[in-house]
Amino acid sequence: MEPVVGDAGTGARGVNESSAVEGVSTDGMTPVSAADVIRAHALTKIFDAAGSRTVALEDADLAVRAGEFVSLIGPSGCGKTTLLRLVADLEAPTSGELEVTGRSAADARLARAYGYVFQSPVLYDWRTVQGNVMLPLEIMGFDRAERRRRAFDLLAMVGLGDFANRYPWQLSGGMQQRVSIARALAFDPKLLLMDEPFGALDEITREALNLELLRIWAATRKTILFVTHSISEAVFLSTRIVVMTARPGKIERVIDVDLPQPRGAETREYPRFFELEREVRESLRGTH
Amino acid sequence: MLATLLALVALGYPLALAFGLPLANRDRGDVRKWIQETAVAQAPDDLTPLLAGTGLVATADGERLAETSVAVLERRPLGHGAEDVAALTEAAAGAPLLVLSDPWGRPAEGVVAAPAAVLDGGLLAAALHALYLGEGRLVPGSLPSRERPDGQRTRFTFPASDAAGPVLVNGERLAAGAGFSEDGAAVVLARPAPFGADVRRMTGDAAILDAGAGTIALADEHGGGDVRSALAIVRLAERLEGASDGENRRFAAARTRLLDVDPSRVLMVEDRPLSAEAERPAERIDGVVRRVTFPSAAGVVVVDDVPLEPGVHYTRDGTSVVLTSPPPRNARVRQYPGAFLADPASGTFLLAEAPGPGERVWAERYTFHARPGCGETLLECFYALPQHPVPYPHWIAAGIVPFFSKYPVADERNALRATLYTTLGTLAALALGAAVGVLLAVNFVLMRPLEKAVFPWVIASQTVPIIALVPVLLLVLGNAGITIQTSIIPTALIGAYIAFFPVVVGTVKGLRSVDPLALDLMRSYAATPVHVFLKVRFPAAVPFLFTSLKLGTAAALVGALVAETESNNRRGLGFQILGQVQSGNVADVWILLLVSSLLGIGLVAVVGVAERLLAPWRRP
Ligand SMILES: Nc1ncnc2c1ncn2[C@@H]1O[C@H](COP(=O)(O)OP(=O)(O)O)[C@@H](O)[C@H]1O
Ligand SMILES: [Mg+2]
Repeated sequence: MEPVVGDAGTGARGVNESSAVEGVSTDGMTPVSAADVIRAHALTKIFDAAGSRTVALEDADLAVRAGEFVSLIGPSGCGKTTLLRLVADLEAPTSGELEVTGRSAADARLARAYGYVFQSPVLYDWRTVQGNVMLPLEIMGFDRAERRRRAFDLLAMVGLGDFANRYPWQLSGGMQQRVSIARALAFDPKLLLMDEPFGALDEITREALNLELLRIWAATRKTILFVTHSISEAVFLSTRIVVMTARPGKIERVIDVDLPQPRGAETREYPRFFELEREVRESLRGTH
Repeated sequence: MLATLLALVALGYPLALAFGLPLANRDRGDVRKWIQETAVAQAPDDLTPLLAGTGLVATADGERLAETSVAVLERRPLGHGAEDVAALTEAAAGAPLLVLSDPWGRPAEGVVAAPAAVLDGGLLAAALHALYLGEGRLVPGSLPSRERPDGQRTRFTFPASDAAGPVLVNGERLAAGAGFSEDGAAVVLARPAPFGADVRRMTGDAAILDAGAGTIALADEHGGGDVRSALAIVRLAERLEGASDGENRRFAAARTRLLDVDPSRVLMVEDRPLSAEAERPAERIDGVVRRVTFPSAAGVVVVDDVPLEPGVHYTRDGTSVVLTSPPPRNARVRQYPGAFLADPASGTFLLAEAPGPGERVWAERYTFHARPGCGETLLECFYALPQHPVPYPHWIAAGIVPFFSKYPVADERNALRATLYTTLGTLAALALGAAVGVLLAVNFVLMRPLEKAVFPWVIASQTVPIIALVPVLLLVLGNAGITIQTSIIPTALIGAYIAFFPVVVGTVKGLRSVDPLALDLMRSYAATPVHVFLKVRFPAAVPFLFTSLKLGTAAALVGALVAETESNNRRGLGFQILGQVQSGNVADVWILLLVSSLLGIGLVAVVGVAERLLAPWRRP
């Protein structure tokens, strides 16, 4: 198990001994593990709007290793989305250091290092399901045959092989979200950033998609940074859970999830599952 | 859709009545539009037996009426029972009355069977208006053939198309079918007419064959009744009311309304006719001259239809008249030597000289308004309206085919051609407007400062009233060497001028309508601005673009019609609308309205179809 990297109270503890020191960060001060896909140090984001100043994220330290499934959980407004957007270079940090796949977040974005899945599917109405999945491939200059092959494979993988030529409005919410995941996987990024992707879905659909996501994760060996506000979802999916607190947004605690892999419906029945749930819940309660 | 159409059509009928009936009522009440009839009367002396005193019946005793005359009311001869005498009284109070001074001629023998009837005692020419079969009046009339019979010819034509009765050859009546057959406007006789024979065709109920011998032919073989004639017609004279005391010069035709212009009217004082001719002065009325000379030495002097008072406004010295003040330049100065119609509304005449005590003033001949020209009932008048502001829908429908085939297709006034021309102009306007609109919108979205600088002008362009702008634009185009009367350029430019606005607004809104997350997603793909524009912004704007194109289509059509109208471009619908309005052709105006609105609907529908084809992702 990879140990916790960040602690909001004491600041950075540095890189864990077990991580091989293979390089240095851009400022040349902090050693970096080559296997760290995301590495944040004292990451702070302050929104300065006219008259109001919001500390969305303060002093966040986090390291995510390749192949990990890390969940961010915390009350609304604790900076989960902000952290994700900083990693995605959709926002610029106010201060702190951030590396994604071993380079700056901007370079990582330009290198198309991650796929992003929003809470809403954000499908393009004017494209068919297949067209939506192929969009990033078009932009990235994949040839036509390759685009078609990948879209076909990914849609089959998310169970929408028969819906390739439908338009988004003809699909249910769960199906739309699966298209959105397929699209994020289309160009085969190492890292998947998912911001409450199943937040708007009903419990049954959500659990089905959870299983599916685990299957995809296992099959593709992606690194996933996953935002959720559901405790059981976080425990069920993650290898580690990052518990955050609000106002200002901080990382409260990181919990290792030592449930065995591969996980299935029976995982939810393990006593350890309930213990972990309680642990997360208590951490969250402690944040009040 | 169909139900709406039917409802609209059904609505057309009450609307047509609601707009037409007030006009019909006005027509019926407007005396000037009444049918005029002229009455000719005999001298009062001749009427004395019938007309002693003020009322007709008060003195016309039944015995005398029976002996000497037959009264006719509305073409129906009156008997002398109490009922008919009452009817006569009533009629005498209103319209002039026809009185036949002699009893009926005796019934003709064998009228019914014989082709021609011989009336005992012969006919006087004056009696031709009073020929009766039973109680129905016969209208006589026949026309001789155009061709002269040469003993061979069987085909004859007649000068008027209303000659539709039997054909007479030397007084012998030929029956249709056996005797002759119709061939278009001509008739073909079964046997050739003898050389030099009299071939004629009847236009009325009867033909006078020989007035001296009293021979007539009847058009129909009537089943019964006597053929009778009246030998003479006497009409009541119109007596003018007013005191004949040697001083009064004002008399009024109270019984019958007079016409403003009545050239045939002759006023009489006893048996002396009063001249109705107006006399012009010998001098030019230049605003200075006061002395004017007329041909007669007496008369009513009138300046601009206002009669002058002798001694007050003028003094007379024989034929010359000296006015107290000079009449204005070019004033109408006239002298009426007999009488002057001072007030047509009340029928008041001003006589040049006052009649002597007891002298009767009367009109020997006068025209009067007999009855409404449009018809007896309001509905008849409605149907007789020269133009209906809202025609019955089926009248409009019936006019469509003639309207479109009025001119051959090769003629530029052909309605179908005009429709196509305007369609073309509108499409050109739309294409131009859409191109300019989209281009502006794209630049606005890409360069905010440009939008800040230019957008107020775009709005200002639409606040300029198009109707004021068009002439200026036409002037500019004309000076640029474009023949605006035949060019499609003004149509396209003006249509585009108003069509581009909704396109700009809609497209800007569309390009900005993109979900911010959709843009974030493009950022996460490290997409270039060109990709963002082509793959996200533009497709997202397409539904907005089509909505604004629909608005733009309607606007382009309006612009095209206005341009065609103002540039006098004879090739388009706009000019036709203007032309039909000016020529008062209401049904055609409605057809043009229909055509242009169908054109609008059709073009918008075409845009809709294009949207379905090009943007099929929209929820239906
Ligand atoms: N673009 C922004 N401008 C100003 N404040 C923002 C912006 N985005 C997020 N915030 C604020 O930052 C805080 C953290 O937001 P967020 O990361 O969205 O929280 P959550 O954990 O619910 O995803 C909130 O208080 C939010 O109001
Ligand atoms: Mg959030």
